[in-house]
Amino acid sequence: MRLPVGAKVGIFALIVMGSYTYFANSIPQIESKPPQELSLEGGNVTQAQLVKAGEEIFKTKGTCEICHRIGQKGTRAPDLAGIGGRAGKTKPGLSAKQYIIESLLNPGAFLVEGYPNIMPTVDKPPIALNRSELWALTAFLESLGGTVDVTLNDIPATAGAAAAGGAPAEVKLPGDAKAGEAVFAGKGGCIACHKAGKIGASPVGPDLSQIAKIQTPDYIMKKILDPKGSGTVAGFPPGVMPQTFGQALTAKEYTDLVSFLLTLK
Amino acid sequence: MKTSAGGRLAATVLLVLTVVLLLLAAAPAVAQDAAKEPAYRNFPVLGSRLAVWAVAQLHLNFAAFILGCPIFAVIIEIIGWRTRDPKYDWLAHEFVKLTFAAFSTTALLGALLLFLFVGYYPKFWTYMTSIFFPTYWVYALLFFAETFAVYLWYYGWDWLSGPRKWIHVGLGVLSNLIGTAILFVANSWVTFMISPAGITESGALKGSVWAAITNFTWMPINIHRLIANIVFGGTIAAAYAAFRFLSARTDEERARYDWMGYIGNFVALAAFIVLPFAGYWLGREIYAFNQTMGITMMGGFMSWLWIIQALLIGILFLGSNYYLWLGMERIPGSERYRKFVPPMLLVLTIGFMIWATPRSMVVTLDEARAMGGTHHPALGFFGVMSAKNTVVNLMILTTFLSFVLYRRANRISTKSWAGTGMMVQWAAILVAAAVVVFYGVYGYFVESIVRIGFSVYQVLAVLGAIVIVMAIDIPMFKGARSTGTIRWGTIAPRSQYVLILLAVTFTWLMGLMGFARSGIRQHWHVYGVLRDTSVDAVTPALGYAANVITVVTIVFFLLVSFIFWLGGLSERGSAEAHGHGHAAPVIAGGSAPER
Repeated sequence: MRLPVGAKVGIFALIVMGSYTYFANSIPQIESKPPQELSLEGGNVTQAQLVKAGEEIFKTKGTCEICHRIGQKGTRAPDLAGIGGRAGKTKPGLSAKQYIIESLLNPGAFLVEGYPNIMPTVDKPPIALNRSELWALTAFLESLGGTVDVTLNDIPATAGAAAAGGAPAEVKLPGDAKAGEAVFAGKGGCIACHKAGKIGASPVGPDLSQIAKIQTPDYIMKKILDPKGSGTVAGFPPGVMPQTFGQALTAKEYTDLVSFLLTLK
Repeated sequence: MKTSAGGRLAATVLLVLTVVLLLLAAAPAVAQDAAKEPAYRNFPVLGSRLAVWAVAQLHLNFAAFILGCPIFAVIIEIIGWRTRDPKYDWLAHEFVKLTFAAFSTTALLGALLLFLFVGYYPKFWTYMTSIFFPTYWVYALLFFAETFAVYLWYYGWDWLSGPRKWIHVGLGVLSNLIGTAILFVANSWVTFMISPAGITESGALKGSVWAAITNFTWMPINIHRLIANIVFGGTIAAAYAAFRFLSARTDEERARYDWMGYIGNFVALAAFIVLPFAGYWLGREIYAFNQTMGITMMGGFMSWLWIIQALLIGILFLGSNYYLWLGMERIPGSERYRKFVPPMLLVLTIGFMIWATPRSMVVTLDEARAMGGTHHPALGFFGVMSAKNTVVNLMILTTFLSFVLYRRANRISTKSWAGTGMMVQWAAILVAAAVVVFYGVYGYFVESIVRIGFSVYQVLAVLGAIVIVMAIDIPMFKGARSTGTIRWGTIAPRSQYVLILLAVTFTWLMGLMGFARSGIRQHWHVYGVLRDTSVDAVTPALGYAANVITVVTIVFFLLVSFIFWLGGLSERGSAEAHGHGHAAPVIAGGSAPER
């Protein structure tokens, strides 16, 4: 039986496309996942945890490893082996942590000889590290041949303001912040675990006194409804925060609570 | 026929009008309701991203075809007009007929894409509207102008013939200018998503929309897409001709579609040769905009994508050359050039293998130990840009050489200076090859920032050789002695499968490059400005992308086959009913004196 031309051409085209598809499926499969937000503020973070978190940021969200190597000379950016030890001697008047922080927030301020001015500002989108992440990253870099002495207060309060990675940080919710404060202290029961500015003092969960500064509105809203799916702040045990706020709070109470949290800067 | 033309025009105008009104009406409404709306809605079963991906790829395929095909159709029409050779006029009409059949489907898919954005990505759409609203009006007006120009061009073919032919050609040129303008407007939206410009840190428009339009990647993508559309149009038209060739019942018909396939492939090949240069420019601009984006694209999670791209482009090079070599068999006198085929095949094969060599490989620990690292001790040297830039330039030179040999296969120059001319031509090709190899090797000994600049010298050397060879070739073979006419229609049937291979491969490649263009934004709708916070924020792996690309490509070819079949049906019907139509020229055994 002779196949019609259309069938022959169709089978041929399918074989060609099938081969390409097979090849594409047989090579390493790598996804690009959006980076997770890290919050350390108010947490009981040990130095080792801080450095470990910083290393993670170095390799993932910070995208530092694309250009910088540790123990290997790069063509795009300097080798960072021993940076913690030599940072304090690189630019007169700046300590190691000050130099590292300046390099992260204003990379063009001091260029290592022989390297182009190509480093992006890491607290601005698209990298958009928040204050916690800058703190951890600085600690990690200090740990490379130096002493880790950076504290959260060393990171400028304005740093990471654009970390939300989206233009519109100004979210106007129809909620009432005052009523939200009442939900926080009352029906929501948040005060049992969290401190929020002048109210609350419990150390069970992270201090939320500056949550609006360090986290995005999207994150805050999602965290209330799905605490487990939003990750756990370093230094705190996972699975403590109840998953039931979505059912327990009315829509108004929820928006009031978020509005209140967004005032905490 | 007039009623049918009027009906189709009315239907298309109505469709375009609906799309335009929706586009314009949706903008302020979406902006007002932004606060009440969710950022995303979920498309049933498929998910929103997949729905947008599939429709966008289909729309781009159709749009590329209807924008690319008329560019060479009008050039062919001009050749027919100036040489008074009716077969070119027939061919131009055939090409426009194909374009015309796909016109409404393109608009329909554009409308569907708009609905998906407005409905499923309202926050994104609101943001884009806040920047680009003025351009919607420009786009709408251009779309109307394009609709009328193309309809008039197609339906006025007989009416504007003879002494009024210049008006008809003018309409063709006008259709292309408007079509290119439409492409540029749409590209401003897409490129802004990759390399936003003209906005404040919070993403609001700073001044004029012009600054947002003229962002880093706008012009490189304009040029890259313009050239790629011509290649795509050429390959699809050639595949159509190949199908008609294989289904032909008479020698005459076979000859006609053999010739049409040759022209389609010639157009595709001519544009394809310069496409990598536009790609370099685009790559440079991406690096200039944001180093991190550039490095992520070439050396990050997308690095394997370029291996697949190399494979596909290698197949396109080999396929195009093989088609030319097969085509030479139907040209008397071409025997003297067959000795060049084995060395050319060798250069192409080695080039293909080097281009497809990965820089580093994902291997097991045992394999890495056996190899002495993740880079192969010998092959690892071929996985870097120095080697790849070198071989792609040599492959372009070789393909150009194939074309030059094909062009002169049945002609012997009668010019007294022919010997000197040929020596200069060979010298130009050899010097270009030497420059390419020199900078390729030298590139291993310099920093990457210097090495990137070398690719410009390599490209200029190749382009220079092409210009010199053609500048000599055209006068040298003017009035040349013929060694026999081309036996159109006698080419081996497997050559037609090569044309189909080229069309399928290029369509698939377009899908892959669409994924690359979109994927380099990673978890951003607008890079660094508007973040993707949906469940689809993960950029999928290549296997998943390949599955989607294949399914969409199959749907595209099914749709295009159906549309071409419908177009042919209507033409057959009208020809039978009215006893006229565009008479197909007799080509069998005939050879154009100048190709």
